[in-house]
Amino acid sequence: MKIDRRSFLGLGLGAAAGVAASPVTWKLTDDSSIWTQNWPWTPVPHDGEVSFDDTVCTLCPGNCGISIRKIDGRAVKIEGKKGYPVNDGGVCLHGLSGLQYLYDPARVHFPMVKNGDTWKQISWDEATTLVAGKIKELRDKGMPDSIACVYGNDKGSIAGLYKRFLMAVGSQNFYTVDSMEKSWEALISRMHGLKASAAFDLANADYLLSFGAGFIEGWGSPVNNFLANSSRKERQAKLVQVEYRLSNTAANADMWVPAKPGTEADLALGICSAMISEKLHDADFVQKSGKAFDNFAKFVSEKYAPESVSRTTGIDVSTIKDIAVQFAKAKTPVAIAGRGRGDSAGSLMEFAAVHALNCLKGNFNKAGGFWTLENQDTLTWPSLEMDDVATKGYAKPPVGLTSVISTASLPKLFETINASEKSPVELMMVYNSNPCFTLHNAKAVKDAVNKIPFVVSFSSCMDDTAQLADVILPSHMFLEMSQDIHSGAGIAKRITALSKAVIAPVFDTKNPGDIIISVAKAVDGSVAASFPWENYDECLESVNGDQWSTLSEEGYIDSELTVPATPLVADFSIFEGFRGFPSIEGDEKSYPLTLVSVDTIRLASGSFASSPFAVKTVEDTVLIQKDSVIEINPETADKVGVSQGDYALVTTPLGEAKVRVNLFHGIMPGVIAMPEGLGHSFGTSSQVVTKGGAGLLSKNGATSIITATGGVSAASGTFENRYIGGKGVNVNELIGPITDPASGLDVAWGIRARISRA
Amino acid sequence: MDSALIPEGARRCPFPVFATGIAVVGAVLLWGVYAMGLCWLKGLNQTNMNDYYGFALWIWADLAVIAIGGGAFFTGLLKYVFGIDELKNIINLAVVIGFICYSSALLILAIDIGQPLRGWFIFWHANVHSMLTEVAFCLSLYFAVLTIEFIPLVLENRQIDKVPFFHNLSHNMHGIMAVFAATGAFLSCFHQGSLGGVAGVLYGRPFAYREGLLVWPWTFFLFTWSAAAYGPCFTLMVTKMFEGITRKKLVKDNVVHLLAKISGWMITTYIIAKIIDTIYWAGVTAPDMGFSLMDFYSGNAFYGIWILFTEIVICGIVPAVILTVKKYRENKKLLLVAICLGVVGVCLNRWVMVLQVMAVPVMSFDTWALYLPSWQEIATTILPVAYGVILISLAYRYLPVFPQEQELYDTNK
Amino acid sequence: MTQDNHGKAHKFGMVIDLDKCTGCGSCMVACMSENNVPFKEDETNKKDSLTWMTVFKLSNEKNFPETDICYMPRPCMHCGGKGDHGHSPCVSVCPATATDYGYDTGIVSQIYTRCFGCRYCMGACPYHARYFNWWDPKWPDGMEEYLSPDVSPRMRGVVEKCSFCYHRYQEARDRAYYEERRDTIEEGEYQTACTQACPAGAITFGDLHNPEHEVYKLVKPDPHQCGKPRNPKAFRLLERLQTNPKVYYISEREWVRKAGDNYRKGEWGQQKKSDGDKGHK
Ligand SMILES: Nc1nc2c(c(=O)[nH]1)N[C@H]1C(S)=C(S)[C@@H](COP(=O)(O)OP(=O)(O)OC[C@H]3O[C@@H](n4cnc5c(=O)[nH]c(N)nc54)[C@H](O)[C@@H]3O)O[C@H]1N2
Ligand SMILES: Nc1nc2c(c(=O)[nH]1)N[C@H]1C(S)=C(S)[C@@H](COP(=O)(O)OP(=O)(O)OC[C@H]3O[C@@H](n4cnc5c(=O)[nH]c(N)nc54)[C@H](O)[C@@H]3O)O[C@H]1N2
Ligand code: SF4
Ligand code: SF4
Ligand code: SF4
Ligand code: SF4
Ligand code: SF4
Ligand SMILES: [Mo]
Repeated sequence: MKIDRRSFLGLGLGAAAGVAASPVTWKLTDDSSIWTQNWPWTPVPHDGEVSFDDTVCTLCPGNCGISIRKIDGRAVKIEGKKGYPVNDGGVCLHGLSGLQYLYDPARVHFPMVKNGDTWKQISWDEATTLVAGKIKELRDKGMPDSIACVYGNDKGSIAGLYKRFLMAVGSQNFYTVDSMEKSWEALISRMHGLKASAAFDLANADYLLSFGAGFIEGWGSPVNNFLANSSRKERQAKLVQVEYRLSNTAANADMWVPAKPGTEADLALGICSAMISEKLHDADFVQKSGKAFDNFAKFVSEKYAPESVSRTTGIDVSTIKDIAVQFAKAKTPVAIAGRGRGDSAGSLMEFAAVHALNCLKGNFNKAGGFWTLENQDTLTWPSLEMDDVATKGYAKPPVGLTSVISTASLPKLFETINASEKSPVELMMVYNSNPCFTLHNAKAVKDAVNKIPFVVSFSSCMDDTAQLADVILPSHMFLEMSQDIHSGAGIAKRITALSKAVIAPVFDTKNPGDIIISVAKAVDGSVAASFPWENYDECLESVNGDQWSTLSEEGYIDSELTVPATPLVADFSIFEGFRGFPSIEGDEKSYPLTLVSVDTIRLASGSFASSPFAVKTVEDTVLIQKDSVIEINPETADKVGVSQGDYALVTTPLGEAKVRVNLFHGIMPGVIAMPEGLGHSFGTSSQVVTKGGAGLLSKNGATSIITATGGVSAASGTFENRYIGGKGVNVNELIGPITDPASGLDVAWGIRARISRA
Repeated sequence: MDSALIPEGARRCPFPVFATGIAVVGAVLLWGVYAMGLCWLKGLNQTNMNDYYGFALWIWADLAVIAIGGGAFFTGLLKYVFGIDELKNIINLAVVIGFICYSSALLILAIDIGQPLRGWFIFWHANVHSMLTEVAFCLSLYFAVLTIEFIPLVLENRQIDKVPFFHNLSHNMHGIMAVFAATGAFLSCFHQGSLGGVAGVLYGRPFAYREGLLVWPWTFFLFTWSAAAYGPCFTLMVTKMFEGITRKKLVKDNVVHLLAKISGWMITTYIIAKIIDTIYWAGVTAPDMGFSLMDFYSGNAFYGIWILFTEIVICGIVPAVILTVKKYRENKKLLLVAICLGVVGVCLNRWVMVLQVMAVPVMSFDTWALYLPSWQEIATTILPVAYGVILISLAYRYLPVFPQEQELYDTNK
Repeated sequence: MTQDNHGKAHKFGMVIDLDKCTGCGSCMVACMSENNVPFKEDETNKKDSLTWMTVFKLSNEKNFPETDICYMPRPCMHCGGKGDHGHSPCVSVCPATATDYGYDTGIVSQIYTRCFGCRYCMGACPYHARYFNWWDPKWPDGMEEYLSPDVSPRMRGVVEKCSFCYHRYQEARDRAYYEERRDTIEEGEYQTACTQACPAGAITFGDLHNPEHEVYKLVKPDPHQCGKPRNPKAFRLLERLQTNPKVYYISEREWVRKAGDNYRKGEWGQQKKSDGDKGHK
């Protein structure tokens, strides 16, 4: 066969046309790309009817109004509620991540009892009977005072029920977590003789003098403060931030005053001194304090003259005087104490020093001022029955009683347990609190918890404390439950809100109110009699009395703030006999540096563990893979011989930790800062045995989802949360508690430390 | 064993030796294929690329092989269009190299994209404004041309040639090869250029951005030019490698010197253009965008000004001088130095135009982005090299790649 | 399409007040939860972490205690490109038209099912606003429950980026048509998820072509200079590259404004002067 040019071309073109025309090639090419567009392993969210439900976020004390977007009853998005008095539509990243908590497979799926190293699923009946049985046993033995309850905060009717339960069984051992709110309450009681909480009208104040309060990084009611801060920019109100480190608040401030850590209160007194010597204070107001004020004036002018304060704090005399003048000249200035979350509470005298400034200005209980919000219990409880055992038990003082403010303190409780051969607490119930993570010297707290014979957790998730429990009766997550919410967190508003169950329970959990009611009923006798409600919903409605109808219809009540009936007086006698502020642990010789814990708003450090979304936003100057990153001034780093990204060993009197180094010009030389909120222990797995059988399931945790009505299907698994668990170190294991001589609260804000290359 | 396939009279190493060599390179190839499989099955997370560094090692390899494969189109152009007949003695090699380089480039592209099964969208949903569209069209068309240019050589294999159909086919294809070579040269000019355009149009990346002519930035022309200039260096380098390995002379000196001379003059003109471009860019384009030259070359240990110096002076001016001056060019060692520098130079240019582009920070607060390739990237980058070695060895063993081989053997005997 | 917006197409844009921004990251999470952005176990390598909205931290680089920092949230800038003709750096390079410029909205779209993952657009974007799906998106068992049907989850191997919550625009537009208002969308009707969530109220979103809208009032875009802000306290990131972003920043702090672009020695002073000159015509 001879091929000429023509036939060659013909052949070639023919072949090309043949292939091109063949449908198979084209079809396959097209199909394969369509397949990539519909990969079965890439989820396709199903569509449906859209609805919105409003509730209140309870992840932190801010309690923002939120709106849940749902598709066919499935929650798909959390948004801020426009017009809500706390947050007006804004919402923080933790609130926005609420659904990640809700649908987290690492939650506790059902009641469980610890069996050696594994958890065993039990029914709600079994769980309630077990706990009630133990309580009856202790009561029968006449030791109801060995029962204790740790509760996140003490506001609202659920807290009321737990408190009531303790009383009904016969124990005073009810503990809440120390917080700056407590410090303020103690101070207001001491200086103004009121049972009231502190509130700051930041949205109207024209001069904010903050002593370390990170009020745009989480302090108080976060979103509310953000809004106040933004409005400050428009109102030309000034913010002066006293802090040893350029925090976000300091960076956002008009003036940053980097006083040495631990000397903030000295600075406050220095400013007081300058104000008084220049006669810039409100003479009329302080006059009511009489002699005590004169003593105070004398005391500060002798001991805290700007010149000497300048030496202690490292702040120029002129700056101190300038602040005094500005503060005095401002129409509505407020001074804010409550530094750092590391301490949770603050030294009473430090708070007093800062509050002295407020008192010198007398800017109280008016727009833009400092408010004393008298505690008013809006809930009405039926009378309580206490049998003999209960009465006897309740007469005994709580374990860990602090001599000074005569309330039981949580750190003291654990100290006492550790100091005793046999734990004075036989049974501990824990709700909405994670002391094994959040208390200073967390390791010792774990030891103490391990020493308690029977620990009952009501946690919805396997947190650091629940891990050590003997039985878990899991509560709903906040979106699944109703409860009443009462504002606090330093906000100058009085809001009562109803947080509603907006989503059917994802797992076999219960409202903590219902749990305690059913336990009480199972304990029988006077205890049962004290809990006359069929269920928590009934209780909620009845204790809220008159306000219930408004609450259930409007969702919240924003009550007018009331000015105390009798004019406020400041008692300066608190300063009599004052001999300086508490200092931190550790000797300067072996520990030349100061370690403080600092917060990033993007990590949850109290209240809850961070969600995957939140952890995702955390900068690589805070967390690198599984290592915490410390902040250090380049100058200090040079001296110690570490540079950016290096591994370093931080040592404090309590222990040591391997971390990585981030050089930051904005931190004072000599200070190292370690992030809060890392080092949760629940990255590790524990096995769960279900009714269906044993097994370690999928890598993300337990699998099957329990329908609202349905029972437990063959679900078993682990409680690994690899998104936050096992990352970084818990700075609280490096810092020990320091008891404030004046309040008995734990007021540690740091510790001495050294660092070396690792 | 395979002597029936070997061109008549050609001397080749014993088959077991050859097979062993192929097996060794084949193992490397399989390693690369494994890595490629991983990238396809598990996705590009197998690489160390990231959102700051979205082009990486193998894209550089892609651009580099296309540049050094430029010898094919340029030699073809010279032979078929400008009628420089001596070059017929090296054109086969140039075509084989070109075929290897371009098929490798296509393979790399197929590995590089996140959705290989949608690769054809580039044609179906083509965006005419995109330089990459131009690259894709020209690259695939030119690859088709190269295949057509390569086929006659394959058909010249002793056994295949015995089949009358293939014999005739080969003959006919030779006859029309000029058409393809011309088409190829045209296409190639465009896609070499469009590859340059890929970087040059990035007006969000002041390090890469160049002003230009109509829709084409200067890099468009510089890339074509540099491929034409440096491509022959690689053809010569491969020739020299063959000669070294086989310890035989395969191409006559006059052919080598001619190609070297042409390359030398091309490099000379190119490097002048490149210097002008650099000066204009450093003095006008970049400053308009807020950058001074040293912003691009400091603040980072790796990307120092040495890289610009090496590219222009050591790998540009030096080979240009050597190759244009007869005395130097005809000095064996200097010639070798020059062609090696040339190859390094063009590869370095491609490196700079893809990888340094990704590394240089643009926002004032951004930091230099650096990356270290993963083993999968290294393996897939070596894959085409192994494939090339095997293909060219097969071609050399079984096809009459060097027409002067026999003659030279006879004279040197 | 009929435009009832003063006869012009919309030009949606964003203004971010950097002095109000607290760096809280809520905008990042609002975006992730609105747009079904996945997450993985380790997100500390910020260069492969999908965050359509990301918050940069800038520093004046001065020593203690002169140090200052500023947070800069960065969504996609929805660049108008040179001459504001819609040839955004990324759009103009995409070979498969998988990302496109909406002339009716000014929004730069991204079609995940068309993108074949060449990442050329990523290289073209100077703001690092584009992200590649290096991994298959995965949610812990049961967490897929919260995925929103408004935005389809992306498969591995494609590029994604901020869309200005385009689905919210579609919804608002559909409602307007349904209510026979045609294309007249009220300012409040179309707001992005990040704007809505920002607890500091630092983000403002609206139509830059509409003088009634807050965004317009805040920056006073100059129509003769491709929308360059006439408010001297406002700036766009990398203005000099002529990418013509639709995201504007405001700050009282000079070092922050200066950090918004690159200037050679001595240029900044002149820049400021000319800014002033060109200001209010
Ligand atoms: N994101 C987030 N927000 C939250 C919470 C959360 O877990 N996560 N929890 C809520 C709760 S319960 C609370 S109590 C509040 C707490 O909120 P904040 O009181 O704001 O707590 P931090 O942010 O830890 O600390 C504020 C600042 O104090 C500084 N600081 C620390 N030690 C010292 C010191 O010795 N001297 C001075 N001058 N400054 C110091 C730190 O640098 C830090 O920037 O946040 C609430 N909001
Ligand atoms: N590391 C560290 N320690 C701190 C602080 C810090 O910043 N960092 N801050 C201090 C401050 S200010 C405070 S207020 C305290 C807070 O201290 P705690 O109140 O002990 O802290 P949380 O971690 O808040 O504990 C709350 C636990 O309740 C569980 N939980 C969360 N939501 C729900 C729910 O809806 N239902 C139920 N049943 N359980 C739920 C979670 O398991 C969570 O771990 O910590 C103090 N200690
Ligand atoms: S500030 Fe607190 S209450 Fe408000 S959304 Fe955030 S976590 Fe919830
Ligand atoms: S949510 Fe608002 S304040 Fe927070 S980082 Fe984003 S822009 Fe800034
Ligand atoms: S910011 Fe980047 S991704 Fe967005 S339009 Fe501009 S170039 Fe494109
Ligand atoms: S990665 Fe996708 S969107 Fe980007 S240029 Fe390539 S095809 Fe276009
Ligand atoms: S506009 Fe929408 S898509 Fe863009 S960053 Fe904001 S929330 Fe994300
Ligand atoms: Mo707290």
